[in-house]
Amino acid sequence: MAIRVSSTIADGASVIREIERRSGERVSACYQCGRCTSTCTGAFAFDYPPHRIMRLLQLGQVEEVLNSRTAQLCFDCMTCSSRCPMTIDVAYVIETAKMIADERGIEGEEEGVRLFRLAFLKNVRRHGRLHEARLMAWINLRSGKIFNDISLVPKTLRKKKVHIVPPRIKNRREIHRIFREVNAKLRDE
Amino acid sequence: MIERKNNTAGMPEAGSGTQADDAYSYFPGCSLTSSAGEYDVSFRLVARELGIRLEEIEDWNCCGASPAPHHWGGNLGVLLPARNLHHAMRDSLVAPCVGCYNRLKNSQYEIANSEEIRIQAERVFGEPVRYETEVLNLVEFFARVTSPEKLAERVQGRLAGLNLATYYGCLMTRPAKIMNFDNARNPVSMKPLLKATGADADHFPFKSECCGSYMGLARKEIVLRASRRIIEVADDMGFDAIVTACPLCHQNLDLRQGQINSAFGTSLAMPVLYFSQVLGLALGLEADDLGIDAHMVSARRLLEKIGHGADITQKQAEVS
Repeated sequence: MAIRVSSTIADGASVIREIERRSGERVSACYQCGRCTSTCTGAFAFDYPPHRIMRLLQLGQVEEVLNSRTAQLCFDCMTCSSRCPMTIDVAYVIETAKMIADERGIEGEEEGVRLFRLAFLKNVRRHGRLHEARLMAWINLRSGKIFNDISLVPKTLRKKKVHIVPPRIKNRREIHRIFREVNAKLRDE
Repeated sequence: MIERKNNTAGMPEAGSGTQADDAYSYFPGCSLTSSAGEYDVSFRLVARELGIRLEEIEDWNCCGASPAPHHWGGNLGVLLPARNLHHAMRDSLVAPCVGCYNRLKNSQYEIANSEEIRIQAERVFGEPVRYETEVLNLVEFFARVTSPEKLAERVQGRLAGLNLATYYGCLMTRPAKIMNFDNARNPVSMKPLLKATGADADHFPFKSECCGSYMGLARKEIVLRASRRIIEVADDMGFDAIVTACPLCHQNLDLRQGQINSAFGTSLAMPVLYFSQVLGLALGLEADDLGIDAHMVSARRLLEKIGHGADITQKQAEVS
C-alpha cells in the first residue's frame, strides 16, 4: 500500500515533536524492520500497520496518523513494543497519537470503539464502578446493533454472571472530583 | 522508577492507618463482582485455605481499565486507580484482575514520577496521596504466600496427569519497565506453582499473545480471530486446559468460544480455568465451590481425569 502524502512536513513536525515529547519515545530511531507489524494482533483490521504509522510520522504525515483507524482501534496489547529491536514503545507512540486526536476532537471512522470508551467512562463516572449489563445494553442501543451478543444473554444470566442492579460506591463525590480535575468532558453531552 | 518497598518495611508516608501485620489489601475490581464472580470466589477460598487474611479496600472504585488512559491525556487513567491506592491500608495489595493490576501499577509509576500528578491527586483527595502500597498480581501473591515445596507437600500430586497451558496475555508483564514482573516475551512465573500441583505445564508458545482485548463489543472479529489462534494451538498441542489470571482473557477465550466455533466452523471445547481455580482443585476444594461450573466450556473431562467425577453437577452447559 502506498503512503498518501497530504500534510506538509512543516505542519507535521510540531505534532511529531509533541508525540515524541509526550511519549518519551524516539520515532526517528525506527528503521522499518516490520517486526511490530508481524506480531500485531489487530493489524488485519487496521488501515496502517504499526511500522507504517512509524514511517508516516517520520515523514511528517500527522493528519494521516491522527485520522487513521489504527489510532482509533489499537487496543494496546503492547506486543509490538515488547519485540522492537530498537526498544521503541510503538504502542505508546500510537496511544499518544490517539490522545492527541481525541483532544483535537477527531472522531475518526471507528464509531463502535469510540462509543464503547464513552459509555464505559460515563458508567464509571455515574456509579464509581462499572455496570457491565448496562454498558452492553447502552452500546447496542446507540450503535443500532440491538442484537449484538444477544446469544450470550441467557447463558450469562443462567451462570449468574450479570448484575441487574448497578453497583454503586458511597463516595461518588470523590469520583466526580477526579473527572472534574482532568476536565474529562464526555463528548456528545 | 518507583522505589521498591519491602513488604515488611514501614510506610513513613502512609500515615497512621497502616497496620503492620500479615493481612493483604484486596482489590477485586468490577469484573470480579459480576461476570468473573467465580474468580473472586475461588481466590478468596484458596487464600483462606492457605491461611491468608484479605481486607477488601473500602468503597473501592473502578480502575478505569483501558478507556480512561486511552482518552484524556492519561491522567484520568492515573487518578481513578490512585483513589484505590490511597484507600488501601495494608503494606501490600493484591489485584487478581490483570487489567486492574496493570492500571494500579501504572498509576503508581506515574505518581512517583510526576509532581504535577501528585498535586492533582492532593487536590482531589484533600491530603497528600498515599500510593506506596506494594501492588501484587495473583501469581505473584501466591508465590509470596506459599512456595512450590510447601504446596507440593500439601497437595500430594493431586493434579497429576493434566497438562496445563499457561497463558499470561499482555497486561501482567507489559510494559516491562513499569510492570517489572517476569519476562514480557516469555513469562514463566505460573509454572513453579502449577508443577507443584503434580500437573505438567509444558511450554505454550502463545502464552503472551493477545486475546483481542476489549474489542469484543465494537469489533468482535478481532477478538474471535485472536482468541481462536490461542485456543487452537492449545488444542493442537493436547493441553487439557488453558490457565489464565485475566477476566477479560477468560471472557474472550471461554464465553466467546462458542462464537468462535460458529464463525469458523471449528469444534473447539477447550476449558479455560483461572489460576486460583487450579490451585483450589489441587488443594482438594470442590469444583462447584470454585465456580468451575460457571464457565461456558465444560471442564468435565479434565475433572474426571483428576477424580472429581462424582461431584460434578449437571449445571455445565456444553459449548453451543
